[in-house]
Amino acid sequence: MDLFLQYVANGVVTGSTYVLVAVGLTLIFGILGVVNFAHGEFYMIGGYVGIVAITMLKLPVLAAIAVVLLAAALVGLVAEAILHKPLKSRDATNSIISSFGLAVALQNAALLVMGPQPQRLNLDVSKIPVLSSLPTDFGPVFLPQQRTLIPLTMVILIGVLYAVLKYTWTGRSLRAMAQHATVARLCGVRVQSVAVVTFMVGSALAGIAGMLMSSIFFVYPVVGNMIALKAFTVVILGGMGNVAGAAVAGLLLGITESLTSAYVANSMRDVVGFVFVILVLLFRPQGLFGKAAERS
Amino acid sequence: MKPYLIGLAVALVLAVAPFVLGGYETNVLMMMLFFVILAVGLDLVAGYCGQFSFATGAFYGLGAYTAAIMSRDLGSPIWLNLPAGAVVAGLFGLLLGIPALRLKGHFLAIVTIAFQTIVYLVISQWTSFTGGQVGVSLPNPAPLTAFGVTLVQLGSLRSYYWLTLAVAVICLLLAWRLAHSRLGSEWIAIRDDETLAAAVGIDTTRGKLTAFIASAALAGVAGVLTAHAMRGVTPDDFTIWISATVVAMMVLGGRGTFIGPILGAVFLVLMPEVLGRLAEYKMLIYGSLLVLAITLMPEGVIGRLRRRAAR
Repeated sequence: MDLFLQYVANGVVTGSTYVLVAVGLTLIFGILGVVNFAHGEFYMIGGYVGIVAITMLKLPVLAAIAVVLLAAALVGLVAEAILHKPLKSRDATNSIISSFGLAVALQNAALLVMGPQPQRLNLDVSKIPVLSSLPTDFGPVFLPQQRTLIPLTMVILIGVLYAVLKYTWTGRSLRAMAQHATVARLCGVRVQSVAVVTFMVGSALAGIAGMLMSSIFFVYPVVGNMIALKAFTVVILGGMGNVAGAAVAGLLLGITESLTSAYVANSMRDVVGFVFVILVLLFRPQGLFGKAAERS
Repeated sequence: MKPYLIGLAVALVLAVAPFVLGGYETNVLMMMLFFVILAVGLDLVAGYCGQFSFATGAFYGLGAYTAAIMSRDLGSPIWLNLPAGAVVAGLFGLLLGIPALRLKGHFLAIVTIAFQTIVYLVISQWTSFTGGQVGVSLPNPAPLTAFGVTLVQLGSLRSYYWLTLAVAVICLLLAWRLAHSRLGSEWIAIRDDETLAAAVGIDTTRGKLTAFIASAALAGVAGVLTAHAMRGVTPDDFTIWISATVVAMMVLGGRGTFIGPILGAVFLVLMPEVLGRLAEYKMLIYGSLLVLAITLMPEGVIGRLRRRAAR
């Protein structure tokens, strides 16, 4: 039982990164209708920027987080100009191919700049004020502070995002766009700036996830492939465009994977999610939590 | 008659090429032929039938591993592996085609990427059967014999190149006939308007499944040829980057134009050879080309030329 709880806790940690990556992906899809296959690369870039900021530039952690947020948001800005602005009046396959090309280009740019060897971020938690005072033992569960930081950040960021979506003017225009783009435009929503904001927010969330995870797992140029696929799994399970659904499905996927690798086989860990997603797409294409709606 | 004559002329030029070129150049040409088969195969399902697949690399790998594992466990020769690779890849194509019956656009794209990843994970982790990361090595292809008489030696690079060329020509002929058959017209109808196609009595289920099978079987054939040419297979030869490359070839050349993907394959395989030291940036260039092509010229080079000619 104690081990079971430990596995669940590990699942929550990985699941939290899935949530961070998937929420951005689902926003970009739900609001703009862009299927962004380059989303995993935002994560990868976040990881590398974090490593450069902390290991090479010796920045304090909070400043490094700010740098990662800024850099990832900037990448999102550029991605919007490539994937959405020129293609928005065309059918969806165009942005699929284009984002796929962007993903391949970014991976290989990273390969040339950072090299193929996996790298890791040495996050010295003892220097972070609040975090270092957190306990590492929760009953039978042991969680180093680097790991605790991930669900913590996820809850804070998703909470902020939720509040922004719910209570601010920007959030209202985002939701209006998601409901009906044309009517939103008629009501005076600035479609182009909403698109840019969506991409920047999505990219920043994925970038933070990449940075935080790089203190536990390695970062390498194609790390984003697997993460993007996991995020798509989460987005599909939660229902395309459904932020709350993505949050629940992300945690569920993380826990399922952790339990699979503990009780079934470690090699089945990555496969289980994809099998799941193909089944969901076949039998419940609106997602586990989505309402059934006709698709054109 | 004209396309056949041009095809024949090109095939003849390619057949005499090894006499003029060195071993390295012949190898490059052989690589080019593999990718021509892959790109034309993808064009059948994505260009003609409109079902986007990012799983070409997976079918390519399935064909290659079929050849490698059959040679290892059964000692089967290449002329048996070729149809076997096509059948195995084709069956998996059918498997992937089934979800495609219900899914469109991005959902389908995600499923094909998931399929590609599952195949990669299985071949790289099922060590007892596929050799894991080390892969499987193959002996020299045995000579083609009939009734105890040796017909063709396949051990040398040149003879293997001719075999590849012959198989490629057969594949392209088959693909051409398919694309211009009644079935090919049904694929185009499904691509252009699936509801209308179903309404005029086209069996869209059959249409989509056949397109997936044909595409996968061609990739399987290319896989068998590659496995024997490389004398072995490793999982990293069949990643999603291969799928990306083939998609780039098809999109650059022109979806659903038949000749477009062929030219795309020729261009993208020969380009790194011309680039010299810049060849390191090959995948970076492919990715950027894909973005540029879809933004500026989504119908591809051949598609653009044809539209201009039609005006």
